[in-house]
Amino acid sequence: MIERRRLSSWASDAGSPAERKIIFSRQGAVVRHESVPMYWRNIPQYYRLVAKRCRQCGAVYFPPALRCRCGSAELEDYDELPHEGRLVEYTVLYQVGTDFLKQKPLIVGLVELNGGVRAVGQIVDAQPDRLAPGTRVELVFRRVAVDGRHGLIMYGYKFRPVQP
Amino acid sequence: MTGVYVVGAALRPAGRHYGENIDDMAAEVLGKALADAGVDIEALFVASSTTELVNRQQILGAYILESLGIDKIPAFRVECGDGSGGAAVTAAYYALASGEYGCVAVVGVDKPNDVLSNQQVDVYAAVMDTYFERYFGFTPLSHAALMAKMYLKRHGYKYEDLAAWAVLMHERGAENPYAYFRRRVKLEDVLSSEYTSEPLRLYDVAPLVDGAAAAVLCRDRRDGPRIMSVAVATNAVPFNMRSEYDTLYSLREAAARAYKAAGISPRDVAAAEVHDSLSIFGVLAVEGLGLAERGGALAALKRGGLRVNMSGGLKARGNALGATGVYQLVEVAWQLVGREFKRADGRYGVVHSMGGVDRTSAVIVVGL
Repeated sequence: MIERRRLSSWASDAGSPAERKIIFSRQGAVVRHESVPMYWRNIPQYYRLVAKRCRQCGAVYFPPALRCRCGSAELEDYDELPHEGRLVEYTVLYQVGTDFLKQKPLIVGLVELNGGVRAVGQIVDAQPDRLAPGTRVELVFRRVAVDGRHGLIMYGYKFRPVQP
Repeated sequence: MTGVYVVGAALRPAGRHYGENIDDMAAEVLGKALADAGVDIEALFVASSTTELVNRQQILGAYILESLGIDKIPAFRVECGDGSGGAAVTAAYYALASGEYGCVAVVGVDKPNDVLSNQQVDVYAAVMDTYFERYFGFTPLSHAALMAKMYLKRHGYKYEDLAAWAVLMHERGAENPYAYFRRRVKLEDVLSSEYTSEPLRLYDVAPLVDGAAAAVLCRDRRDGPRIMSVAVATNAVPFNMRSEYDTLYSLREAAARAYKAAGISPRDVAAAEVHDSLSIFGVLAVEGLGLAERGGALAALKRGGLRVNMSGGLKARGNALGATGVYQLVEVAWQLVGREFKRADGRYGVVHSMGGVDRTSAVIVVGL
């Protein structure tokens, strides 16, 4: 239900006429669009959870770090984080920023991926009252936000409950 | 040992100050603090979180000094999100303790009401990790809600127990002439307010307010409460990798250092102002400062033994972002001497100023 609304065409992503008016008529001084290079350079993390792993001790860092807690600076790209896991806790967020008005409310979940590394992600295709700590979830590739002013569409990972 | 004293201060009632520019609002309160202190300053430290995002203003210190006609002195800006105030006081303390200056001023200012409320969420979300948290739509509120849920479960509380925080803060705010909310609320008001990020409701979220606060600090001039110690600690662990969610790591570290340097223990604290930008943070801060045992803050609140945030906290005084920590310093200093507030029953007070979701905390111990 929440997800279906998000898949409407980008032109309507600014929300209701009232919300569109807020966004486009009163820009304020707030920077209203994402930087393209910022989006582009983080695609490996946004799309595939590419982490860093310490060559010395094996610790995994997501988001990627440059130096391991063990002291080693030898970290390599780690592209094998499991895309399945379990919900640790979740919340339904009703106060959202301007890029997310159309999607509100957002279900925000702390997920423990199989193997123990955790990530926070939106939970989609879900009814909040059917979620609970321990619910099995899997990674999906979804649209995150649309910059209606400049036409940039940004994607990234989210999680959805695994259908039994 | 070098002593740093709060020799003058002024606060601006927190609110929606649509009629003033940010530099003038800061200059007005700084001018009052200077008049209160009756000294000249050699440097200015500006605490502000959102001057670029909201006002498109940099070098704010120079424009504040322009309004007051104070020429030639250096002005520095300290930014640690909504924890900027505590960090700026710390920087000013070090500048004095180094021997470089004899008197400096700290002014905190932010005007979040210069943008619309939806845009305030964008502005406040900048304290999150911009690439891996803010990008996905997460805000301090969403992560506080996750922490609140885990805290309540782990320590066997119900939401009603947490809702008592807002009731207490509004009770205190009603007595504070500088507070944004000066009315009491009932538990039912909190419980029937809308969800903002469940389990948190409207009353769990401190209002973002326009505010300005200033303090004049001097070295070795025993003319006011003394800053006994300062400590700032950051938390280098991203939210998703933290091992515990029912504690404020940055605060625990800063508090341990600040108490040790001041030579006091939590039992000596008679006045405390903590960063309850979200109700759960206030609860965790009470525990982080050692004013209640771990998991025991809400039980202490229920017993009625919680003497923190006599200002009403961020919940009732308002969250003036970068100015908040300066408000807190002045409030604690004034509570110790019984100015504007009821006099605290003891000699020591403590300030907790936090930026982001447990990303950085400053702890300042003030004593008579």
